[in-house]
Amino acid sequence: MPEEKFDCIIVGAGPAGSTAGFLLANAGLEVLIIERGTFAGSKNMTGGRLYSHSLEKIISDFASVAPVERKVVKETITMLTNDSAVSIDFQSQQLNQAQKESYTVLRADFDQWLAGKAEDAGAILAPGVRVDDLLFKDGKVTGVIAGEDEMEADVVILADGVNSLLAQKAGLKVELKPNQVAVGVKEVIELPAQVIEDRFGLNKGEGAARIFVGNCTKGKIGGGFLYTNKNSLSLGLVFTLADLAESQLTVPQMLEEFKSHPVIKPLIKDGKLVEYSAHLVPEAGLNMLPKLYSDGVMVVGDAAGLVINAGYTVRGMDLAIASGEAASKAIITAKEQDDYSAASLARYQDLLDRSFVMQDLKQYQKFPEFMENPRIFNEYPQLVVNIFKDMFIVDGSPGKPLRKKVLNHAKQVGLVNLLKDAWKGVKAL
Amino acid sequence: MKKVVACYKWVIDEADIRVEEKDHSLNFERAKYKISEYDRNAIEAGALLNEEKGCEFLAVTCGPNVEASLKDVLSRGPASISYVNEEWLADVDSSVTSKILAGIIKKIGNVDLVICGEGSSDDYSQQVGPRLAALLGYASVTFVNKLDITEEGIKVERKLEDGVEVLEVKGPAVVTVLPDINKPRIPSLKQILAAKKKPTEKISLKEIGFDINASQPKLKTLSISGTVMERKNMQINTDGLSIKDAALKLVKQLNADGSLA
Repeated sequence: MPEEKFDCIIVGAGPAGSTAGFLLANAGLEVLIIERGTFAGSKNMTGGRLYSHSLEKIISDFASVAPVERKVVKETITMLTNDSAVSIDFQSQQLNQAQKESYTVLRADFDQWLAGKAEDAGAILAPGVRVDDLLFKDGKVTGVIAGEDEMEADVVILADGVNSLLAQKAGLKVELKPNQVAVGVKEVIELPAQVIEDRFGLNKGEGAARIFVGNCTKGKIGGGFLYTNKNSLSLGLVFTLADLAESQLTVPQMLEEFKSHPVIKPLIKDGKLVEYSAHLVPEAGLNMLPKLYSDGVMVVGDAAGLVINAGYTVRGMDLAIASGEAASKAIITAKEQDDYSAASLARYQDLLDRSFVMQDLKQYQKFPEFMENPRIFNEYPQLVVNIFKDMFIVDGSPGKPLRKKVLNHAKQVGLVNLLKDAWKGVKAL
Repeated sequence: MKKVVACYKWVIDEADIRVEEKDHSLNFERAKYKISEYDRNAIEAGALLNEEKGCEFLAVTCGPNVEASLKDVLSRGPASISYVNEEWLADVDSSVTSKILAGIIKKIGNVDLVICGEGSSDDYSQQVGPRLAALLGYASVTFVNKLDITEEGIKVERKLEDGVEVLEVKGPAVVTVLPDINKPRIPSLKQILAAKKKPTEKISLKEIGFDINASQPKLKTLSISGTVMERKNMQINTDGLSIKDAALKLVKQLNADGSLA
């Protein structure tokens, strides 16, 4: 029998797990965080951006001490065809306001910092350990099994990431389906800070976020991204796993083609590849939401699929942090009442329902379905590019009125399709 | 009960060192530290003697920034760690290192067996073990790939270039071990948790009677740079060359380079 017992064992030291660990340890609970990687963040990946609001509420002004890369002050959406691009830039002072700002991050650094905060608060972090199974007693989760070792706790938080085998073992979730997850692939390309700032038109320390739709995924559902870090760029692609089976190209080939696109190539010129990584991303939102809690156990972050899929971008870290916070609040109450039953832990779901997490997930619930429309990744970028070509390319052939140009191109997609998709898009949001 | 001490060095993980293209200088910016590879084997050998033979097992180290190593090492078996943590130790040679380690081991007292890795993953001078033996007045046994402790003494197998030498050592000894002596463990959850409760002892230079002025390093590192294999970066199949022509061109090029000789 285990000789030691914790109030709470957290499996996984990502943003969700470490946030919960930090808050629980701060409240005086005995917390053990078990991490599979050799250090927190060693197995994690993000495209690159953390929206600050949820962590800001917990650790105010965290960005002044945490290893964040750059504050994003410039957003760009680019529609790509094989040889052309149309971009829309957004710059606003509002991107600079507290709680509204976002930062580019690299997880190896950021996750270590956050896990360190949990340790400083008194949580015990055990890295390099894989949790193989859960301990059950009378149908209730009572701890974890790691190799030969068993460890008991009043409650276990599963923060073990997108492919949470433990949530399956706890009966909270079924195996992932290919259309519920995307694969994200990323290169970190090193460039001097000054070059990055010049290339992207940024002041010192400021960052840019760019997303790409169209040719970069060869018409498949997904998109490209580029985030500026301090001394590097995070450049990558996200696409639905189910689509990959039919793809002519492999993931690395697609990334290579993306890198050699005439629009991307000058952005990464003279950069040095320092890191290549890939990861699964849960992207079915509410449509894949597991049971979030049961007797003695709850599931948070990516493990619970708490990721908002906006088609060409995905957003999860701020939701992960909020879910870790909600779980910790539920546990603190459970501890006061010495009741870790499902009925008591249901408070976690209540807190999530009332927070932006579930409200945003609901908002975007129909969005994945709407995005599963190849026209969005093929015809529409082409349409926009064609209109701009007509506007800007002057070769001596007689011009036509703009209205006609636009209509001509729109007819190629089909006006009915265009209206239908526009209506669906509005409805989905 | 025999008392066993393992020495280890906390080194920069060579996987994190980058060689700069322009001048082949080393960039340590992103470097993390780790237990020197063969010292993991030394620690594991001590842990096994503790678990299988009931020996008392301790670890010692010295260097800059070694406090970061304590939890990791303690989860691998030793009951405690005695260490000297000094920034200036970053630039010392094995004569200084071995003097400090010898001082710590003398302070522990009555140590029957000292286990070191054959060489460190950074400098690989292979000197600390034999120097320690000399300073402690212990027997010195190198290239050990089997180690046992019995009532009669310490039994070892030395793996030599073309043979195996089996030795029995009377009295205390310093052995340096090879990587195939054992497979270092991946600490289990309980071992990691237990490590957090184990004691460590920070030792000052004064306590071990170490006089900095009398023990200046005798070696000074003048420069250190990486070796880089220069590549020609030639593409053979350019301009729509057929596979056959490309193959011929490749053979011609390899011949010209002397690669097929």
